[in-house]
Formats: sequence, structure tokens, C-alpha cells
Amino acid sequence: MAWQTVTDWITYALFAASGFFFFAGSVGLVRFPDVYTRLHALTKSDNLGLGLASAGLAVQSGSWVVAAKLLLIWMIVIVAGATACYLVANSARNSGVEPWTGGDR
Amino acid sequence: MSETPTAITPRQRLRRLPGRAVGMLLVWFVVTEADIPSLVIGVPIALAAAVLSVALQPRSLSGVYLPGAIRFARFFAVNSVLGGIDVAFRALGPRMRLEPAIVHYPLRISGAFPRVFFANTISMLPGTLSSRLTSDTVEVHVLDCTRPVIEDLAQVEERVADLFGAQLSPHEGGAVL
Amino acid sequence: MTLALQILATVILLTVALGIYRIERGPTGTDRMLSAMLFGTSGVALTLVLGELTGLHGLRDMALVFALLGALTAVAFVKRAWGADD
Repeated sequence: MAWQTVTDWITYALFAASGFFFFAGSVGLVRFPDVYTRLHALTKSDNLGLGLASAGLAVQSGSWVVAAKLLLIWMIVIVAGATACYLVANSARNSGVEPWTGGDR
Repeated sequence: MSETPTAITPRQRLRRLPGRAVGMLLVWFVVTEADIPSLVIGVPIALAAAVLSVALQPRSLSGVYLPGAIRFARFFAVNSVLGGIDVAFRALGPRMRLEPAIVHYPLRISGAFPRVFFANTISMLPGTLSSRLTSDTVEVHVLDCTRPVIEDLAQVEERVADLFGAQLSPHEGGAVL
Repeated sequence: MTLALQILATVILLTVALGIYRIERGPTGTDRMLSAMLFGTSGVALTLVLGELTGLHGLRDMALVFALLGALTAVAFVKRAWGADD
């Protein structure tokens, strides 16, 4: 198998996983019962989706500098996402939004 | 690792400058995708950014311990993937297994930066989300309180302490509300 | 590869559509903010994928700027939400 074919298949696998996590994160955003549980879906799934998409693109580019740049973008999104997640959860707590604890299905 | 935020002397600032400048140059190099001619602008800008960043830094940050950082990166990579898988299957599953609870976890780790770093790390790991950080506890929203959440958090805290080259005393537990 | 990129771009757009549903339903401003955060992440991913698809590698710089702006939107929202609630 040619090298190009190998990298292509790695990219396909990473893209498929990426699409799965993006989709699952949004389904969580729609289905989960309250702000806090929706935040869980958002911060974890979507950041992982972006990471896998970036990894796939990095494999395709075949360049270390481009891979480093994609990694840098991903790290910025993670740090921003984790901070934003804390700020939103904290402001919800401070304004008295009670966490959902089950029951009303 | 010092508990109180210590002011930095001008000499300490000066000593940090070369490392910071190299870091900024590296970022420029990566962002421009190794465009050599752009270094004409990049070198002065990276130097200016390094000077500004060292001059404006309010207090000394806890230093990072390299072997700990490598262990932390590996731990974080594995667990953030597990976190994504966990929440993805909860979202897509027909019954959505959710047993949310608020947990109060007493902090052992000291220093402002390591604590914020710990709170942010919690949000990226499976089933936990930090929602309030006070001087001695972190309040965590958990997706599934049937899991050993306190033990998991203690392990994450030890990893973060390791990243900053610190040791922690055995944990005393927290409260699941 | 073009097809794979197109499929991924479509899936990411689908997540944006689901986010719009959450904005429509709300119920609180915080819930709507979550969709804005989602658009931040999926916007970065979509920009990167379209950059590869079209060969416009400058779009990577745009994704970088989106990533940096994403940090500011949540801060701005929380500041305003606090101001409004108090």
C-alpha cells in the first residue's frame, strides 16, 4: 500500500470520529435537561471533535509546522473552552439556577 | 511552590526575558508556517511581546516540572478522549443515564495558578465540571454520582500537583450533595 | 479526500443547525450562550476543513482568530449577564 493511501485512511478514521463527537455533542446540547448537563456535552464532545478534525488535517498536510499550528489552535480552543465553561457554570450557580436532579421525564 | 503570591524583583523579570523571547519567536514561527522572510517583522515583534509579557506579569507563576508535565499531558489526552466518549454515549443512548449531583471537594493544592488550572482540568475530564472555586474548596457538578467521584478528583489533583512539581498530603474526602 | 472533507463539513453544519434549535428553545440566556460556544468550536473546525477543501491555507489564520475571539465572547457574556441579574 502506498504511503499516501495509509495517511488517507488515517485521516478518514479521524474525520469519522470527529464527526461522531461533533454530532453527539450537539445531540447532548438538545437532549440534556439543564444548563449544567448541556455544558458537559459541549465542553467535552466538541473539543474532542475539533481535536480529531485537526489531527486528520495535520496528517493530510504532512508538514510539522502546519501540525504545530493546528495543535496551537486546538490548545487555544481548549483553554478558552474550559475557562468559558467555568464562567458560564459559575454565573448559572450564582444566579440561582438549580441543577436538574432527575425525576421529571 | 509558594502559598502567597510573591512580587517579582526587576532582576527576576530580566532573568525570565530570554526564555519568554524564545517562546514568542517559536509561536511566530508556527503561526506564519515557517515563513522565513516574515522574521524581519517577527523578531522585533516577538521581542516586544516578550518584554511586555515579562513587564506586565503581576506575580511569579508556579514553575512547571517537566517530567510531571509529560505525565500530565498523557493523562489528559487519554482522559479527555474517555470524557468525550462517556458524554457522547450518554447523549446518544436511548435512556440517557444521568444522575447529576453537586460535589464539594476540599482543595489540597496551593497557589492561585495551580488551583485555576485544576478547576479548568476538571471541566475537561469525564463527567465532571467545576462550577465554583473558593479559597479552600472547588464545587463540581458531576454527571453520574454513582461513580467514585471524590477518588477521581483526588487523582486529577495529584496529577496537577505533579505538573507543578508538588507533593500532596493524603486526601480527606469531600461531600456529595 | 475531497468527499471526506465535504462530508465532515456537512456534519459540522448539522451540529450548527442543532445549536440553532437550542437558541430557539432557550429557555434562559445561558442556554443560548451554550449555542454560541458551540458555534465557536464548530466555526473553527469548519473554517479549517473549508481551508483544506478550497486550498486557501490563509483560512488557518482565520481559525486562529476565531479561537482567540471564542475566549472573549464567554467573558463578555458573563459580565453582561451578571450586570443584568443583579
